[in-house]
Amino acid sequence: MTPKSLPSLIAVIDIGTHKTASLLGQIIDGKARMLSFSERRTDGVVKGTVTDLEKLTQCVHEVVNDIERGSGRAVEQIYLSLSGPAAEGERVKGFVAVPAHDGKVTAKDVADAISSAKRLEPPAGRSTLLYMRQPTMLDGRAVTNPVGMAGKRLEVNFWRVTMEEGNMRMRVGMVNGMSIKVRDFILASHAAACATASDADKQGGVLVIDMGAGTTDWILYYKEHILCAGSIPVGGEHMTNDLSVALRISRETSEDLKQRFGSAVHRDNDVNQTIWKDGDKGVGDQQFNRGTITKVISLRYQETLDFVRKDVLRHLEHIFPGHAVKLDQQMIPSGVILTGGSANLADAVEAVQLVTGLTARVGIPNFENESLRKPEYAGVVGLMAAAITDAPPAVRRPRGFLATLKDLFRF
Amino acid sequence: MSATPSILLVGLGGAGCSMVTRLSAQLPAEIGVALLDTDARALQAIVGAQVVQLGRAQTRGMGTGGEAALGLASAESEETPLRRLFTGVPIVVLVTGLGGGTGSGAASVVASLAAETGATVLAFATMPFSHEGERRMRQANDATVLLGQKCHGLVVVHNDLLLQQVASDAPLSESFAAADAWVGGALRGIASAFAPGALIAVDPSALRSILSTPGSPTLYAYGVGQGEGAAMKAARAACDCPLAHGPGAVTKVASLFVHVAGGTSLTTTEAFEAVAAIRTRFGGETSTIICARVDASLGERIEVSVLGASLPAPKVPAKTKKGGKETDPSQPVFEFATEESMRRGLFGGTPMTFIDGQDVDVPAYIRKAVRLPTSP
Repeated sequence: MTPKSLPSLIAVIDIGTHKTASLLGQIIDGKARMLSFSERRTDGVVKGTVTDLEKLTQCVHEVVNDIERGSGRAVEQIYLSLSGPAAEGERVKGFVAVPAHDGKVTAKDVADAISSAKRLEPPAGRSTLLYMRQPTMLDGRAVTNPVGMAGKRLEVNFWRVTMEEGNMRMRVGMVNGMSIKVRDFILASHAAACATASDADKQGGVLVIDMGAGTTDWILYYKEHILCAGSIPVGGEHMTNDLSVALRISRETSEDLKQRFGSAVHRDNDVNQTIWKDGDKGVGDQQFNRGTITKVISLRYQETLDFVRKDVLRHLEHIFPGHAVKLDQQMIPSGVILTGGSANLADAVEAVQLVTGLTARVGIPNFENESLRKPEYAGVVGLMAAAITDAPPAVRRPRGFLATLKDLFRF
Repeated sequence: MSATPSILLVGLGGAGCSMVTRLSAQLPAEIGVALLDTDARALQAIVGAQVVQLGRAQTRGMGTGGEAALGLASAESEETPLRRLFTGVPIVVLVTGLGGGTGSGAASVVASLAAETGATVLAFATMPFSHEGERRMRQANDATVLLGQKCHGLVVVHNDLLLQQVASDAPLSESFAAADAWVGGALRGIASAFAPGALIAVDPSALRSILSTPGSPTLYAYGVGQGEGAAMKAARAACDCPLAHGPGAVTKVASLFVHVAGGTSLTTTEAFEAVAAIRTRFGGETSTIICARVDASLGERIEVSVLGASLPAPKVPAKTKKGGKETDPSQPVFEFATEESMRRGLFGGTPMTFIDGQDVDVPAYIRKAVRLPTSP
């Protein structure tokens, strides 16, 4: 018999196009201690979209079984990551005219504004998955906690993530099938940011780009808050595919060549280098021009980053209509943090700097276990970090209206 | 035209007509030319060509404005003149540009009418440039699936690929010349099957024996070589021909038709060496039909064109897409190896993803028409 799971256990699962990873952690003093970790090759997902539910379900079950066996604990609830274009985000706002005679904002005003924002129905056929807090404005000024302050118009903002209902039910059903509850959804890009960006980065402003195999998710923090987030259905697999089309080689060979000789920046000198496919120069070995490899990959890599840049600008224009918003170092002093499996490609940082004109660095997830301190694990490690903020463990939450209000303010 | 030609080259729609017009000057006399379009002006381009103006009632001599449905109706309304045009012609080569209205809409109708009159139909279809946007690309993709089921052989030429064949500072006309060379090479190859004076001549029915089944995946490659070892150079160029590549494209076929043409210096040994190289690359185990011809006008140049097909496994018709495509019960339905799977590789079969009007699953270097450094 498996021992009963403790309330301080947190299980997270990150279903990616290339791999599905799950982590079970015990929370001690607000920090996660890894109990078990498992990852497997994902089956049945293309470009972040589920194409074969049966295979994917099996894969998810195997991964969850792995972490249960590895830790000897039963998982009762789990946090699911949300990535890809299926999850769409938009800004919703709610406001109240502050009614009190002395013009001071009360807790009830805040609650009213929040409920008016959350009353906005998602588009037909879509369900709301999560709300992420954005700055609260009192008469047009951003304030941290408006209660007790004087003002006339109180506005609260949320980044709301919605997903098509069928798609969401499918994801929940996959986990429920093993008698495990979905504790909550966490936006994958938010998770990646939790793992790689410091509080100081978020405070100043930072763009986190999580480039995975099938999708590239991004999130923009501005003055501590999530300003907007999005996803481009292009990732590392596209580079592999481009290369296999260009060189007429198999997907596996192409993946191998990408990792060994690929680069996110093409240099003139590359065309003078000849590389061998296997390296033994034996029968069946093939010669390629390294210039071809870097050209094909860098074109796709930089195009994808450019899609992200344009997508960010499009969102910003939507949020600040009529303002000429520029994506520059002044707006996001911490620049770009590039993470996810495709951040491992050579010269990735240089490509980001070329395309965005911002400073950049590769985001290594901050985690106690050395083996998970790699960009490809930013998603799963970040889920754990985001989940801890979501549920402060082992402390009974004080009940009452104020506590509920505090909950509403968390993000 | 008095006698019925053995091969009829048909240009359909704006792009098809203009390509046929460019080609018509360099064609052997055995090939008849016909132009089909909704736009009346395009039909006057070639003197002596047979013309059928499509959709006189629907478009009144104008184009279709990119409406495939209008193109379809236009072709259907001219069924009688089209049947008359194809009657008695053994081989019809249909050249069309997909993505617009006339080509996308009418191609499958024209092809099926020609096939019904007993002709063997080989179609060359060009796909729109990525920059032409989502609607035209979708329209073209739908049209290739339909067209592939109706004609005996379908060769898809990507405009994106054309741009890659020439240097980035080359004039626009040069990339179109590359397309003309591909289609022209095939036509000359097929035509020479009938022309007198071939070193190794074949019967017109040879083509029929290869392209026997509608909807079977078609392989086409073309290469030119010059100077020392020209035949091998041409064969190698044909093996590397972009039309024959990409995952999902037909790479090995059971039956091959290889045509080698060269100047007076072309020897049988050279021709056979080239054929052997082609066979190593593309297969042709069941049958390889070889045709060689000496053409003094080619001089030092040697041209190799390859056409091939395999009998595909019959497909259960249940998988046809929704939207109620009508299928001819007398013809077996085959899963057609669409050009979609060729360009999109791994992502073939998944829904297209458009960003800025471009299908982003298509390799970036193809969409951006970047010429890749050559392999060692």
